[in-house]
Amino acid sequence: MSGASILEDVATRLGELGGERADRGGDVHVAVPADAIREAVRRARAGGFEQLSDVLAVDWSEYPRHDGPRFTVIYHLFSPTTMERLFLRVAVGDGEAVPSITPQWRGADVFEREVYDLFGIPFDGHPDLRKLVTPEDLDGHPLRKDFDLGESPTLFNDGRYLDPASFRAGMLGRDAGRTGWVGGARKGVVSEQGRDEAPSDGDGGTP
Amino acid sequence: MNADAPGRADVLREERHGDFDTKLMRINVGPVHPATHGVLRLVVDLDGETVMGATPRIGYLHTGFEKTMEHRTWQQVVTYTNRMDYAHALGHDLAYVLAAEKLLDARVPERAQRIRVLLTELNRIASHLLGLGTGLLDMGALTPFFYTMRERERILDLLEMVSGVRMNYGYFRVGGLSRDLPDGFEAKVQAFIDDFPAALEQYFAMFLENEIWLARTRGVGVLSRETALEVGLTGPSARASGLDVDLRRDAPYSGYEDYTFDVPVAEEGDAYQRFVVRGEEMQQSLRIVQQALTRLEPGPIRDPDRRISLPERHELETSMEAVIFHFKLVTEGFHPPMGEVYVGTESARGELGYYLVSDGGSMPYRVKVRTPSLPNIQAIEPASIGGTFADMVVNIATMDPVMGDVDK
Repeated sequence: MSGASILEDVATRLGELGGERADRGGDVHVAVPADAIREAVRRARAGGFEQLSDVLAVDWSEYPRHDGPRFTVIYHLFSPTTMERLFLRVAVGDGEAVPSITPQWRGADVFEREVYDLFGIPFDGHPDLRKLVTPEDLDGHPLRKDFDLGESPTLFNDGRYLDPASFRAGMLGRDAGRTGWVGGARKGVVSEQGRDEAPSDGDGGTP
Repeated sequence: MNADAPGRADVLREERHGDFDTKLMRINVGPVHPATHGVLRLVVDLDGETVMGATPRIGYLHTGFEKTMEHRTWQQVVTYTNRMDYAHALGHDLAYVLAAEKLLDARVPERAQRIRVLLTELNRIASHLLGLGTGLLDMGALTPFFYTMRERERILDLLEMVSGVRMNYGYFRVGGLSRDLPDGFEAKVQAFIDDFPAALEQYFAMFLENEIWLARTRGVGVLSRETALEVGLTGPSARASGLDVDLRRDAPYSGYEDYTFDVPVAEEGDAYQRFVVRGEEMQQSLRIVQQALTRLEPGPIRDPDRRISLPERHELETSMEAVIFHFKLVTEGFHPPMGEVYVGTESARGELGYYLVSDGGSMPYRVKVRTPSLPNIQAIEPASIGGTFADMVVNIATMDPVMGDVDK
């Protein structure tokens, strides 16, 4: 750590934009409205967060007890002088677009294209919004939770086979699958048999 | 790709041709090309021999690791992390296990941390040796490649001794290590530490006093600190441009605050300094390896918490409880609490971080890998514009991208 902390100062200035601050996992996250993201990024950069480390998205559609828009786009900023991190969060509904921050930060180019490719969140004003990593002929956005994982069945010597989809469903507690196990691998997902209960807040769970 | 890149190309054309109408030639480089370090494809605009634009097209090695990780237990994810950056595989393993341990609030024993640092730094040296050797190879210097491979081979032998494989180690576990070091490992590492400085001297002599090499790298592909920040460049390449950030020193993890080492930084930002910074980093890594080796003391290598680590083999014969924990860990794994964490580490290529989201389940809800190579290849274009095509090859080499790290 070197230099005086700039985090508080910047967080306050983002609060003026309607940003809501929350601490998650030891880092400061500020949720800002989608239309204020460009101004928020501009202020953070002017305040000393000179490096855009990453832009990522999370699809909350299968997260237990999540209410609110389906996606969150997270902008990860870093200050190379004070070594502090700041995360800006923008909630995005399905089919909605986010203003691109490429005018403020050209380095956001590949990050935004990656989010667009893998989640299907469009960025308004991006100069070259194309797929980044998936093949041209792939339909859909792989990191959305409703995009199925393609797997091939495992065939055993005696003709028995393991169907990955039903095996996985068993692991997720959604149905018994072929293993017959309706365990709570995924906490918070109540299986049809009702053996799995939703955990209380912050419950780490014990095996 | 870069703010000043298109503008600079226009200015250059104006200078060279004035009102005279000229056309750029667009050529394709890669994805299968000896100078692109894997499957990087560049669409290059050329004005004669001068590069006017170089747009990376990536995705040829996209494997969907992040999606796959959402369908594996927290412990199984370690199998995938090291397959991204196969040149500095342990860096990825370390970043992931640190992030998962932060979620779990695990207490990793001293010995495990020391071994992690020791192996990660050895791997960093191996990665820089590969980058150095192939970088010189790209310039047409064939011989140094064989010398750097010789030393790299010794490191790979050491890592194979520990983990059983030469590339995708998967040796670290959430909560500690998979097994303890084999007998005789310390002595072999010490022998390497004793021999390596002489080899390093040899490398430095091979190119630092080489007139041709100096002509190919001095003042080539200059990147300013501003451009490095603009495109998100990190790691040795950014330190060569005066961006004095090394997360091992500035945001220590895994006990790096206990080690004495320097962070080589240069101001020039040219290909020469990008090579030299990597060379000096190897010396510093060697210092860390020596310190970690000296402080290595016997002790446990896993978090004793039964909810995270498998019980010892002998306990399974006497303790029913151990059998139950073993069964639960093997069949479904552990359940970190709900939440989000980010841990950033310094890999051989730059800032490598894992952003993990847990829904309380036995598999990650979302894994986002902040790989250093992806933003780093954005620096190829601003470094190359205005230079010759041959210089662009040097720029690619000195960014040292690993395509598995770019495409994930």
